Amino acid sequence: MSRTKPVEYHFFPSNVDQIFQSLGKERLLKLFKNMLSIRNFEIRAESAYQHGKIGGFFHAYIGQEAIQTAAVEVMGKDQWWSTSYRCHALALLLGATPNELMAELYGKATGNARGRGGSMHFYTDKLLGGFGIVGGQIPIAAGAAFSLKYLDKKGVSVCFLGDGAVAQGTFHETLNLASLWDLPCIFVIENNRWGMGTAVNRAISVEPIAEIKAPSFGMKGYTFDGMDIFNCYAGFKHVFEEVLATSRPVIVEVVTERFRGHSISDPALYRSKEALQHCIERDPIQLMLNVLKDKNVLTDEQFEALDKEQKEIVVQAMKYAEESPWPDAITLGEDVFAKETSKEAFP
Amino acid sequence: MTKQLIEIREALRQAIDEEMTRDSRVFILGEEVAEYNGAYKVTKGMLEKWGSKRVIDTPISELGFAGLAVGAAMTGLRPICEFMSFNFSFVAADQIISHATKMHYMSGNRFSVPIVFRGPNGAAAQVSSQHSHNVEAIYSNIPGLIIISPSNAYDAKGLLKSAIRCNNPVLFLENELSYGDKMEIPVGEYLVPIGKARIVSEGKHLTLVAHSRMVKVCQQVVEILSARGIKIELIDLRTIKPLDIATVAESVRKTHRCVLVEEGHVFGGIAAEVGFEIIEHCFDFLDTPLKRVCQLETPMPYSKVLEAETMPNKERVLRACEELLH
Repeated sequence: MSRTKPVEYHFFPSNVDQIFQSLGKERLLKLFKNMLSIRNFEIRAESAYQHGKIGGFFHAYIGQEAIQTAAVEVMGKDQWWSTSYRCHALALLLGATPNELMAELYGKATGNARGRGGSMHFYTDKLLGGFGIVGGQIPIAAGAAFSLKYLDKKGVSVCFLGDGAVAQGTFHETLNLASLWDLPCIFVIENNRWGMGTAVNRAISVEPIAEIKAPSFGMKGYTFDGMDIFNCYAGFKHVFEEVLATSRPVIVEVVTERFRGHSISDPALYRSKEALQHCIERDPIQLMLNVLKDKNVLTDEQFEALDKEQKEIVVQAMKYAEESPWPDAITLGEDVFAKETSKEAFP
Repeated sequence: MTKQLIEIREALRQAIDEEMTRDSRVFILGEEVAEYNGAYKVTKGMLEKWGSKRVIDTPISELGFAGLAVGAAMTGLRPICEFMSFNFSFVAADQIISHATKMHYMSGNRFSVPIVFRGPNGAAAQVSSQHSHNVEAIYSNIPGLIIISPSNAYDAKGLLKSAIRCNNPVLFLENELSYGDKMEIPVGEYLVPIGKARIVSEGKHLTLVAHSRMVKVCQQVVEILSARGIKIELIDLRTIKPLDIATVAESVRKTHRCVLVEEGHVFGGIAAEVGFEIIEHCFDFLDTPLKRVCQLETPMPYSKVLEAETMPNKERVLRACEELLH
């Protein structure tokens, strides 16, 4: 069984001109550069994978760049962040360097997680992970929000999850707890239309997801256009201010579509060429570029130079990863446990 | 030192209370821990003393609140997460196994998870198949977890305090049938170190290894055999992981015989692990094969007649010892 009727979304209202005005040229260019950085990182890493430099699972964020780029720009790095295994972009946005991330993908000692986590497990001081179990990060993100409240700190916990995770028990249990306990948590469902190869309308019983589910938990739900960074920016700004003011959790559904298969080994045969072409027409980078060109912020030549610059950074990161040492086998057993500090408790 | 005669549940309560006094980051959450005063009264009076910020009733939502507690531990707090029964930890198993336990290693030591999961483990009185499981063998196969299972009030208090100060995820396995067991213990603070077994009684003829409630069963066997002039060395593991194999091996090298007793199932159990480590460390010292007395390979039946049949008991332990000593 699957639904065939188109979903009726109520997108958060936004005005490109207004956002353009308030952000200014420099911040806009920074946002654009961040998206290019993610795109270039993913494309080069994919090729490294094809060349056998990277192993394991690999899930590219290509097509979804606007979402996390806008969210991090709005809320800043100093919140708690968590996401699924599709985690390369968020780590980059939160300040992990292309070098350490590429080295992690290569399994090197200089990697972001010392070569222990790989593609699905990237971290920063405020990024609780890349989580490999679908929906595993959801209660953990609520725990981070719980800590903020317990320690009387200002801030929010932002949890990204895919549409596939909406079917997991953690989603429902966590929303109940977060609402019950007034946790400052923003749950962002990146609906990229596919849970691996299963279309969202064959897996999730209702859409729009946030608009329908949020009220059942006594929460507010919003829908953003994930291909439009201006809409994402406006939406996240509103939601961030609301959660800071109310300490009430919210659910956001961001409608997007990944341009690749679920993972690098998935040729996405379940999606027609026409359907893929249709979503690529709304490439978030191209859409933002169009606006920047319209407003005379960026020329085609400048764009190409910027893109080349980002590509160079990733090429350098690949060189760094290639030249980095493998983890010494002697470190294999390190960090299974955190260091104990009480000699009496743990001699 | 002044002494107090208290039950295990009170020893546990004191441990939690003292650690909450010592460290404001410590809090307890779980089903019925606050207003109900704990399903087994371990947290009696704590809501009144500490308030609802630090003694927190949860909905019946083990996966949700266990995961939330893991997230809280990753971000600066030190949660005590009570399972009303460790059988319910299976509902939360993904958060324990794939998240709490793997996090420090997987994150290249960026995040640690100082959390105690605690609650009753194993069989109680006729609670049937879904409320009687011993979880230690299942979880002990996962690197990154500390597993503690005390048998008396002294160890329960000292080990729980140590567990709360531990910087890693701990499973603290209690026993419903033992909550009321009384013991004279010191008034005031002390710790029992994690990872140290205890020699309950010294002996030279045979080593008995047990943990949790089975220690009490074994003590009866020690007394029976003592009356016959046979001296049994009884070892209470106290901590399952890390396992104090040194204490066990030293004893076996002295007695040359060993019976391993475990409330949980026989296949792939703690007894199997300890037994194999004995073979690795002191095979040449053994005069007889090892024997183990464990729960049989059936789900726990309700009928008390059948329940008694599948559980290790005094008679079965005694028989195993006699077979090795004949």
